[in-house]
Amino acid sequence: MTESKFETRPNTNMPDFDTMSPADFEQYLPDFFSNGDGHVSTDPRLQTFLAKNPDCAALVRDLEAIADTARSLFAPGYEPSDTVWSNIQTKLHQPNPDEDDDPPRR
Amino acid sequence: MDLQGLPMTQTSPTPGVFKRNPPIAGEAEAIEAAKNGDALAFSRLYALHKRRVYTLCLRMLGNVSEAEDMTQEAFLHLFRKIGSFRGESAFSTWLHRLTVNLVLMHLRKKGLNLVSLEETINPSEDDAPKRDFGSKDILLSGSVDRVALERAVASLPPGYRMVFVLHDVEGFEHNEIATMLDCSTGNSKSQLHKARLKLRELLRHPQPSTQPDSLKEMAL
Repeated sequence: MTESKFETRPNTNMPDFDTMSPADFEQYLPDFFSNGDGHVSTDPRLQTFLAKNPDCAALVRDLEAIADTARSLFAPGYEPSDTVWSNIQTKLHQPNPDEDDDPPRR
Repeated sequence: MDLQGLPMTQTSPTPGVFKRNPPIAGEAEAIEAAKNGDALAFSRLYALHKRRVYTLCLRMLGNVSEAEDMTQEAFLHLFRKIGSFRGESAFSTWLHRLTVNLVLMHLRKKGLNLVSLEETINPSEDDAPKRDFGSKDILLSGSVDRVALERAVASLPPGYRMVFVLHDVEGFEHNEIATMLDCSTGNSKSQLHKARLKLRELLRHPQPSTQPDSLKEMAL
């Protein structure tokens, strides 16, 4: 998403933001999230709707919180056992089993 | 081994991953030395990247034993093919993509057909997110505990977990995920949304007793 924060080109598949129902909103929510920067709560087209529909606003807030927290999981948090490196060292000195597609066995 | 869909020479950098994989001090020297067969350089590269590769495998597979096997496999491939790395993208990005493709290939071999996410790894009715869209008992209040999320991700059905990890954690775009999983971009978007809904449900109503032991380890 480098061009603009929110998609601005006309999209005939999008609902009328002024008249859509919560069910419409739910249907299009994956698209709302995938457009722009992934933060539906700041989409200016949806401010009126979200203000009128607090349950929808709460859903959006929760899903955004999940996505935001998920980014923090990118940092590596786990370490493989020492056996992994031992096995790699052993196998590096063996012929390359290109034909063998089976996962390695420890 | 022929890695289907796995470029052993670099293609265009992956923006979402590249920006999160800055160069590491000493890495370039280790790469060049490893290309010449320097065993110490291999060791250095392993030390630099083992946690990220293993964590990625663990999140995608949800199983410690399989994650260690795939970590081993990823580094073996890396060391055997490192000569084809030309430095046109971040090394960690290259290794990252190599690992993702290895894991996906492993899952396909296990019989998990990723061609059609909706039909093959869509969760059962019990696993699908509940449509409690209008529920009043919002408990997350816009904040999520990192450990609780980690635990919830581990308990997601495989199809949901795969797309969620690739997009929300690893930073791949929907079009990239669609290519990797051989599905449509819309399918990837849909799976991601369902995964987030399922996570919301799990975070509001945690069920720790139903998690397999191997998945509990991820949350420790």
